[in-house]
Amino acid sequence: MPKTILIVDDEEDVRESVKTILTANGYKVETAIDGDDCLKKIQEITPDLILLDIMMPGKPIGEVIKQIQNIKIAFMSVVRISDARKQGLCSQSNIVDFFQKPFNVSDLVDRLEFILNG
Amino acid sequence: MDAKKFSLKKMIFSKINRKLSFLVIAALLAPALGIFLFYYILASSFPSGIFSEQAALLRTTAVFIIILICIVNAGVIGFFVTRSISKPINELYKATLELEKGNYDIRIDIKTDDEISELGNAFNLTSAALGKLEQERKEIDNAKTEFLSITSHELRSPMTPMKAQLQMLQEGYFGKLNKKTKDSLEIITRNADRLDNIIVDFLEISRIEAARLKFNFKETDISQIVDETTKFMEGFAKEKNIRLVVKTANIPKIEVDPDRLIQVLRNLINNAIKFSEENSKIEIDTKLKGNYILFSVKDYGCGLNSENQIRIFEPFYQVENSSHRKHGGTGLGLAICRGIVEAQKGKLWVESKEGRGSKFSFTVPLKPVKNIEPIKVLFSSKKLIENKICEEFKTVLGPLGNSEFDELKNKNSLGKDDLFEYIDSLTELHIIPEKKGENFKNNIGGIFGEEKTIINKENDTNYCIQEDEVVGRS
Repeated sequence: MPKTILIVDDEEDVRESVKTILTANGYKVETAIDGDDCLKKIQEITPDLILLDIMMPGKPIGEVIKQIQNIKIAFMSVVRISDARKQGLCSQSNIVDFFQKPFNVSDLVDRLEFILNG
Repeated sequence: MDAKKFSLKKMIFSKINRKLSFLVIAALLAPALGIFLFYYILASSFPSGIFSEQAALLRTTAVFIIILICIVNAGVIGFFVTRSISKPINELYKATLELEKGNYDIRIDIKTDDEISELGNAFNLTSAALGKLEQERKEIDNAKTEFLSITSHELRSPMTPMKAQLQMLQEGYFGKLNKKTKDSLEIITRNADRLDNIIVDFLEISRIEAARLKFNFKETDISQIVDETTKFMEGFAKEKNIRLVVKTANIPKIEVDPDRLIQVLRNLINNAIKFSEENSKIEIDTKLKGNYILFSVKDYGCGLNSENQIRIFEPFYQVENSSHRKHGGTGLGLAICRGIVEAQKGKLWVESKEGRGSKFSFTVPLKPVKNIEPIKVLFSSKKLIENKICEEFKTVLGPLGNSEFDELKNKNSLGKDDLFEYIDSLTELHIIPEKKGENFKNNIGGIFGEEKTIINKENDTNYCIQEDEVVGRS
């Protein structure tokens, strides 16, 4: 049974790139375009992990993650981890990783493999 | 109003002149006239016989009284009149000093209703105008920093899918590649990385300028950090068969941001490797100096001429030498290092002899500076140093200094050695006395190596020894 990953990013090119990578590595991939869309999607499906951008239009990401308590979240953002920490985004226990954009493809694959199958 | 044009009418009706005329009339003429009238009436009321006998005495007495009253009167009235002039001038003087300190909110209230109060009003207007300019300057400065920060973020976001797709292509996500495609992709990737590095450096600069640079202070074993960084850099040094020699002496554990320290060290070692000849060595020194830890990275490479020594900390300034261009730095590394070091109230400086090598040193305080202030790394330190030199010229040589400075500048000989030579020629020609020349030299030396004296006097002797070493070895 392949693991499901929900990619949340407002940039289509990023969504598509990550989707191609993850699909090629045997994951089932869903996408959402912002925080609200993400909350809507997790009503329908339960992904094993959410790859979440931090700076997106719409609902602030701090509020979005408060409503997601039982799904693993990995941030993927151009914001630096120290800034994210300062905004109090990394305190929740279901936040498992932080990918700095621009990310490295094989690093992304390896770390996701470790989180989901390791 | 044309201030330069002399107008008799204006002078007569000038309010200060009116005041001064009042002083003359009220203090001198009025009592004189009064006493004269008194004397005249007195003289006419007495019969002429009596009068003529006592006339001489009376006249002398009258003159004496007139003079006495005039003096007292002039003293009293003069005191008030001059005070009404000097008090507002004093007030203006104090306000001007305040203005000079940058207090643009200062206003003065002079109600003397003369030229001085007009001057006061003009001062208020000037102060207001300066305040507005300062406000605008601040706004522009903020806008610049903000723009830099936003642009860098915006530039970075397209990098993400671009680099992802490039890596996918290279890693064969879309099928196997032939050699030519691979080579092409490699060039694209390398340049995309370079572009990304520039953007990251831009962001860093914007953080430094906006005092948004973050330091995560941790108790850190400095020797360990130096060792680790050196080990990491050894990989690069091996390519040119360069030895990295580390000397650390009893450094206490201090609170620093290890990542920032590593960032500066790596940058300096990286530069040293870049500009070193093959099979040479680089010395990395760490020692305790007063309230600071002094780090230095010394190479035996091509060195820097005096022009480059000043300009090397400017953003995007790269020493002109096409063979080094291919190493492809962003040109922002040293500017960022300076920003990081200075944000901690440390100093970063270079000493170098052309053809013999360079030594970059920086200091980190034992107690961390937690209140980070904005640092202008985008400003050219060359301008700053040149201005200081020019000031020095003007204080020593007077008005002549300016033109002499310009002449030297045009000849492009504002390096320390050139200036010393120039000062020597001045003393030899007896244009300035020897002692003044020595002072001049000291001050100019101070401008170039200012940092040295600030940290610790001991350093100076130390440097001399090290400098000789460089000479001796080469």
